[in-house]
Amino acid sequence: MVVAPAHPPVECGATLSESDAMSPFERYGIEHLSPSSCNTFSAAPAAFILQKCLKRSNPVGPAAHRGTAVETGIAHGLMYPDASEEECITKTREQFNTLNALSTDSRIDKEAGVLADMVKTGLRELRPYGVPSSMQGHVTHTVEGLSVPLIGYYDFEWAHKNVLIDLKTSHTVPSKIKLPHARQVSLYKATRGEHLSARVTYCAPKKVATYELENFREHLSALERVCLTIQKFLSLSDDPLELASYVVPDVDSFYYNDPVTRQEVFEIWRV
Amino acid sequence: MAIGINYESAGSEDIIPIIKYDAKAGRMFRRDRVNGDNEQVDITRSFKAAFDFENLETGFIAFPVGGAPDFALARIGDRIPEKPTSDHRQGVRLLVKLTKDCGGDVRELASTAKAFLRGIDAAHDAYEADKAANPGKLPVFILEDTVPVVSEGGGNKTTNYSPVFKLIGWVARPSDLTYIPRAKSSEPAPAKATPPSTGSSRVTAPVDADDDFG
Repeated sequence: MVVAPAHPPVECGATLSESDAMSPFERYGIEHLSPSSCNTFSAAPAAFILQKCLKRSNPVGPAAHRGTAVETGIAHGLMYPDASEEECITKTREQFNTLNALSTDSRIDKEAGVLADMVKTGLRELRPYGVPSSMQGHVTHTVEGLSVPLIGYYDFEWAHKNVLIDLKTSHTVPSKIKLPHARQVSLYKATRGEHLSARVTYCAPKKVATYELENFREHLSALERVCLTIQKFLSLSDDPLELASYVVPDVDSFYYNDPVTRQEVFEIWRV
Repeated sequence: MAIGINYESAGSEDIIPIIKYDAKAGRMFRRDRVNGDNEQVDITRSFKAAFDFENLETGFIAFPVGGAPDFALARIGDRIPEKPTSDHRQGVRLLVKLTKDCGGDVRELASTAKAFLRGIDAAHDAYEADKAANPGKLPVFILEDTVPVVSEGGGNKTTNYSPVFKLIGWVARPSDLTYIPRAKSSEPAPAKATPPSTGSSRVTAPVDADDDFG
């Protein structure tokens, strides 16, 4: 007796695997993109693959912790206008020490030495804006054709003054908004309201400057193109090592400064 | 639509009532439609309005006698269309929101008169100087004065009057003052794209002087 199969056989010979049915982002467990991940992909695609596809460690150095800590101190000073500079600096130092507690990085002392001055210049620049109406606000933006959302967190907004500011700390103040920052802030302006004056404050130990974003639509459009390029790139393969084989890391870049990261780069790319 | 002809009218959203600056007289008029006729109301003395300079349009305008004006304009900062005909002259167009005393509604203001353009250029300079301190707001101007400008040509002397707009404050954008790009009679020539600038203008905290506007 011949028993008919429950389902007719597939004639074309092609079957859909679970992986085929997934979006490129799902394959790599990426739930969203952010300006930061887009900027990493633009500047150092190998670093993006390392972090997002190979899921290797992504240690953050003292410079990044300095930014977080200074922002904490300045945020405290903005939320509490009567708080003294010393109080804000103490908040900053406490957070910096906590974030670096387990680190043996030789650059910690250098970064610790500029914390107080950065908090002072930042407060001098931003306290005239008054108490922010919101801080660390989450934004989500849908990019047409992109299967994950583009998300971000802005630093400070004064909704009643129509101003939104992202704070950047650095040892020198640039003469204009850096391109990655322009793209980042363009996302905030697009999601919080185009009427807002979107600004970037660069805070250095002795100098501070706030610049107004120009051409936000163009920068947002560029950010969206980067997102779509990432999607296209990830769709090339569901094997992260194959994706890795399409790029070569510039090992002198700060993205690979951390010794563990540098070792991982060597093991994967042999450079 | 197989041959690409649009039989629809321009649409009511394209028709915005106007105010008109008469450079020969140095007077500002509001043109109202009353019982199917145009009626001009002199608002020179009472003129006070929020200017939408953010969406100022510049380019070329033709005002044919007895016909509808033709605009080939682009939002400031965008590439200006080619001059469509020799009848088109350099000009500007912008939307303003009049205060209640002189009308209270949104009006279009357009002109090619050089005397007017001088005045609007100076007003725009004043706007540019203070806009960073008033993010998201519109400047409020009054017509403080009109000054004679004498030009000579072909043995004749002509006197026109340039408006002197005075910036008196800033207001939040009125809800009914919305810029919608309108049809151009001539599309701009394709331009070679260049990387956009990111922003190098230093700005300070806004001032807390909110004018209660209309």
